[in-house]
This record gives sequence, structure tokens and C-alpha cells, in this order.
Amino acid sequence: MNDKLSERVLLVDGSRLIIESAVCAGAEVFVGYPITPANLLYLYSSRRFPMMFPAPDEISTLQWMCGFSAAGKYPMTATSFPGFALMLESLNMAYMMELPMLIVLAQRLGPSTGSATTGAEGDLMLLRGAISGGYPFPVFSVSSPVDCWNLTAKAISASLKMRTPVVLLTSKELAMTMSTVSADDLENVERAQWELSSGERYLPYQRTDSLVPPFAPLGDGRFQVRFNASTHDEMGLIRKTDAAALSNTTRLKEKVEKWISDYTFYELDEEAGARKLIVSYGITSGSAREALGILRKSGEKASLLIVKTLLPVPPAVIEIMSRYDRVFIAEENLTGLLCEIIYGVSGRPSVKSIGKIGTMITPREIVDRVMES
Amino acid sequence: MTFLASMKQPYCPGCGYHLVTSQIAKALEKLNIKPLDVVISSDIGCGGLIDASFNVHTIHGLHGRSVALAMGAALGLEDKKVIAFQGDGGATIGLQHLLEAARWNVDMTLIIVNNMIYGMTGGQPSGLTPFGFTTVITPQGHQQHPYDLVKLAYDAGATYALRILAKGDFSEKLAGAFAVKGFSIVEIVSPCPSYGVKGVKELSEMGIADLELKREREPMKPVVRESKSLIRSELKTLYEAGLKDRIAVVLAGSAGEGVQSAAELLAEAAILSGLKTTKKGDYPITVGTGFSLAEVILSEKRIDYTGIQKPDVIIVTSDDGLARIRSLLKPGDSTLIIADSSLSIEGMENVVHRDFRGVAGKKGACLAAIGFWLRRSSVIPEAALREATKKSKHAESLLNSIQSAEGLDA
Repeated sequence: MNDKLSERVLLVDGSRLIIESAVCAGAEVFVGYPITPANLLYLYSSRRFPMMFPAPDEISTLQWMCGFSAAGKYPMTATSFPGFALMLESLNMAYMMELPMLIVLAQRLGPSTGSATTGAEGDLMLLRGAISGGYPFPVFSVSSPVDCWNLTAKAISASLKMRTPVVLLTSKELAMTMSTVSADDLENVERAQWELSSGERYLPYQRTDSLVPPFAPLGDGRFQVRFNASTHDEMGLIRKTDAAALSNTTRLKEKVEKWISDYTFYELDEEAGARKLIVSYGITSGSAREALGILRKSGEKASLLIVKTLLPVPPAVIEIMSRYDRVFIAEENLTGLLCEIIYGVSGRPSVKSIGKIGTMITPREIVDRVMES
Repeated sequence: MTFLASMKQPYCPGCGYHLVTSQIAKALEKLNIKPLDVVISSDIGCGGLIDASFNVHTIHGLHGRSVALAMGAALGLEDKKVIAFQGDGGATIGLQHLLEAARWNVDMTLIIVNNMIYGMTGGQPSGLTPFGFTTVITPQGHQQHPYDLVKLAYDAGATYALRILAKGDFSEKLAGAFAVKGFSIVEIVSPCPSYGVKGVKELSEMGIADLELKREREPMKPVVRESKSLIRSELKTLYEAGLKDRIAVVLAGSAGEGVQSAAELLAEAAILSGLKTTKKGDYPITVGTGFSLAEVILSEKRIDYTGIQKPDVIIVTSDDGLARIRSLLKPGDSTLIIADSSLSIEGMENVVHRDFRGVAGKKGACLAAIGFWLRRSSVIPEAALREATKKSKHAESLLNSIQSAEGLDA
């Protein structure tokens, strides 16, 4: 009882935590088009963001965000698959221009319009291939209400550090469910900083040691600034496929791979002697955590890995998975998206995918699959 | 200070872009600004090559989107001249964007060079191709009439809209458009020498002529707001819960009958009693009618899986709610069902009927039933529910709802 008395507890939904954390982390402009189940994010942003602009569609949304980001104002939006599909070309533009921004993707059941108020985890494969050429771009996934706070700020920090758009993946169940959150579990969030050019001369897409060109906004009074969505050189001018241009395009891949280890987040609960590993992410993480408790209570040794940096798949995640004889990947879809991204279409006999659609995977469904193998 | 980076330009011989580029530079020089005060946002198509010609800030984006991109930049910058640049193809694919920028009257200028066809892909017709114009796919003449972008943008709210033909020195007119505070659009008609010229009769025969439309209107100014944290006051444990495990409650009623807010109060009461809780809502997409369902889990331990496979308690206070939860009713289950007297529930063992709608009204029925249930059970004290209502601006009527059912306890 004494422990409880000192605990500071909140009753909040994930959307509220995401928006508040984003503002504390330095997001300045929210642009969006309302879509279920991202509605609460849109609503809360109107009450909390320094600037909030309702756009007439999701193409405009991302274009305006690119304009704000190029002007040095950190933009954010929230959408679901139908809206995200419209953003795809502009997302590629933001990636090519190297514009930091946060896109929250609240997943719902597809295909197509699907069922707006039913949760799902069906968009990971789309994100893996979202950038033409298969280039890596960071995708983070919240596995709990506390993650909605902590990971949002980290995603913003990562996007500024790597000068890239990032996606924060969530789903209807986390965005809209209210739950008990201990205020002590919410990390202190500091305003993330733009890495600005301090020199007198400026090459907009200079290849530096960090592989991330320093940023300068449009309108900078010191020098000319160029952004370019087409294949371009260090100056930011269109080039077809000369060496300078291809070096710049290659750098986009190299920079994310270079820095992702600094933004690799996961939760690992290992049991000594366990040969079985449950892997999960997003809303299914809750079931996986309960499943682990049930298994251990029944004497079954098992470990649990909750992946929070989903893309590019961090080497650390693959290393952990390779240590186990049996791997069970639980995600709320029929096709095993994370499983296919990591193990390919041919898969592995030692790896099982646990999936379903329409309702959340239950702890019991995970337990049964782990026990039968 | 010169705005042009180079006199050498990448366009076909005879292309109007040569003239347009030099006229834009000349017009900018007439304004009292420096090149670094100017941002040019360029589109896809021949106009997308314009960046390299200028010493200003440039951002080269996607087909049809340069206006939207420029709109974001213009709203994010102060005291900069933002110019979006596109062709008739870009204006066609991105028509929504230019109407939106005009409607908001964003302080920027859009230059559309209308060469009447898609030049880069082989001379296909755009939304601005004149009626009767011959193109690669319409050798007999184009059968649609073109958009009049100047009129459309003006009707949408632009401060200034101008159409000119690309002849002679029009830098004074461009400078006038650049100087406008608010959204200005200039359509410069200049047929493509590689594909368009063959289809050109006299422009006047096709009904294309200069046009100038203007109005007084304040430009849109973004406001930066101060606001307070969204994280509401923290809750402290004031009561002791009787619950030693986990209990799943389903509340079912109708839209507008306070089911969701009653569920939230139950969740808060659980926290006030030291429990963990989750609350989720379910309702049809037409939120103002039909059922309203809420799921609340109360637990002594942390709740990871937030689903309810089998409710322990169902509180149902309307026909809509009953219809929605019927599939959860399994004869023989021990589920406690607390139902309004008006609802007929057969085959279940553990049903308690009371006239919640009668005593608390339809808007208070759900909360009244929750209070009734808490007084009968030892899950959490009913006082915690009363305490939870105190923060609400409707505290008095909520308390009345809870109290109204006290007479039903017996």
C-alpha cells in the first residue's frame, strides 16, 4: 500500500503521450488530414502544437511538411494506411532532400480501406520497400503506452541526427486505448537540436565523415541553400548519373546504416538456459509479455525480444535471434511481415510466424504455439 | 546584385523559358531585395531546370507539387519572397494545391509557364491545352476546353491573378505580382517550340488573352501559440481495492448516453483505489447514433494484453447496447449481467435487472449502474467512483446519477 501511495499515476491514451512528447522534443508544426485511427493525434495536436495546419489531403500534408522542414521548422503528421499510401512519392522526396520529419502511422486492418476501427500490424513490408531502391529509412514501433512517450522523442532525435524522415509505427489499439501509466516511467524529454551548418561556405549535400550533411534552412542569409528531390550532386543541382550524383545517392544508404546502432531500441528478457525466443513488436508485445509469464509459470524456459527499431533491421536484433534454436515471431497480420523481412520468403524450419487478423493475438495463442514446438 | 547565375540555359532553341527566366531576374531586380531573400520552388518538367539559372535559394520537388511545397516554406519563413514555378502539366496534376494556396491567400507568387502541352514526355495534352489544338495523341484537334487558372485562382481567393503572353518586356508586370502581399499567380502563355508550335493558330483565335484580376485581402499569417501540457493531473491512491486479481467489465449502451465517460470514471476510480486499468471504446462510424461500447479492465498487476476474451461483468443499459453484446452472452457462463429493467435477457443465470433509466435518465443510466454494481461488489469502493467525478465540470449531475440508484440496492 505504501508503494502505491507514492506512485504518480496517469490515465492516458497513447495519442496524448505521443503528441505531448513530440512537442517537448521540439516538433513545431503539425500538418494533417483526419483519418481513423489517427484522429486523436490530429485533435490533440490542435490543442498543443505551436502551429497546426489542416491540409486538404495527404499529398498536401507531406508537401507542406517538406516546406516547413526545409525552412527549419520541425514538422509532424499522423495517418493510417490509406493516407500513407498517398504520401509515398512525397516521402521519397523528403528522403532524397534529407528533410527531418516524423510520420506517425497508426495501423488499421486492410487491405484498402479495410476496417477503420480495427487494429492491425500490416504495413511493415510497405515501409521496408517505401523508398524506391529499397533504401533503409528508420521505422520505430511503440510496444506500450510508456513507449509512446519515450520512443516518440527518440524518433525525432534520430530524424534530426540522420537528416531523414522517420516513421513511428503504432496501431488503433495503442493510439486509442486509455491505460494506467506511472509518471515515473516517462523519461525526461529534451528538445532535440538541428545540426546546423556553422561555416561561411556551404555545400548543401557535402559528404562529411558523419555522412550527414550539416543543415541550413531556405532563406539563410549567409549563403545559397538548395534542396533537390531528383538525383543531384553536392551542390544540390540535378545530375543524371555522374560519379558525384551516384556518390550522393549511395550516401543516403550509408548514413542510415552508419547511425542506426545509436538508435537501436529493443527490450530483451532472457532466461538462462532457454532455447526458445519469442519475438514481437507493437500491440502484440503486450500479449507476448503475458505469454512469457504463463510459459515460465508452467516451467517452460523462454526468452522474449520486443523490437522497437524495426527498420532497418538492426544487426543487434539479428544477433539475438541467431542465438536461439527456436524463434517465434508474433505480429497481428496473416503473412508474417517481420518474419519475411528477416528470414526471406524461404524462411527457416526453426522460425515460426504467429499471426492473425481482426482481433489482437491473445497470450494463450502464443503460449500454445510455443508449447507445441 | 544579380539574380541570374548564368546566361546559359538548358532550353530548346526558341523556347519561351529563355525569356521567362531573364524576365523573372529583371523583375526581382526591380524589387529592393537580395538574392538570399528569395526562394524558388520548382516542379518537374522543363521548368524544373530553372534552379541552376538563379543565385537564390532553390528547392526542386515533384511533379505538380511545387506550389504545396512552396506554401509550406512560405508559412515557415518570415520576410522572404517565395516563388513557385511550374508548367501547365504541373498545374494540372496539382490543381488542388494552387487552389488551396489561393484560398488561404498565402504570401507567395506562383508562376505558371503555359506551353500548352506536356513537353518532356512527347507533347501530350494537359489541362491547359486549348480546344482544337493538335497534339501527338489528338491529331484531329483536342476535344476538351482548358481550365482558366487565372479565374480559378482568383475565385479561390487569390489577391492577384494575371495572364500575359510571353512577348517583349513584361518584367514590370512580374515585379507587380511579386510585390503583392498575399497569393499572386501569373500565367505566362508561351507555346512549346518542339511540340506546341505546330498546333498553334493565333493565340487570340483560341480565346487566349491577357487578363488581370485583383482584390484587397490580408495575407494569411501563421500564428504561433502557447499551450499547456496535455498530460492531466496525476492520480494518487486514496482507497483500498478489494480486487485481488483481474476483472474485465463491458459497458454497453447507446451513443450520447454517457457510456464512454462513465467508463473513464470507472477507470479513474480504479486508479484511485491503487489498481491498474485500461479503457477502450467501440462505436459505429456514425458516432452520433447506434451502440456505444466500452471495455474496462481492472487489475492488481500490470496489464499487458488489453483485450477481453470473456467479460466478468456486463453492464447493459439500452437496446442498442444489448444488441451489440448478445454474442458475448453464453448460457451457463458465470458472467454477472447488470441490465436495465427494460431489457429482456433470457437463458443467463446471473442477471440483475433494475430501472436505471427510470431513476437516472438515459444519460445517467450507465454511471448509475456502475455505482450500483460497486456497492454490491468488493472490487473497489463506490466512494472512489464519487471521488473520480469531482474533477468533472458536470460533477453535480454525475453524483446525482450515482446516488439516484441507491434506492435500487435492495
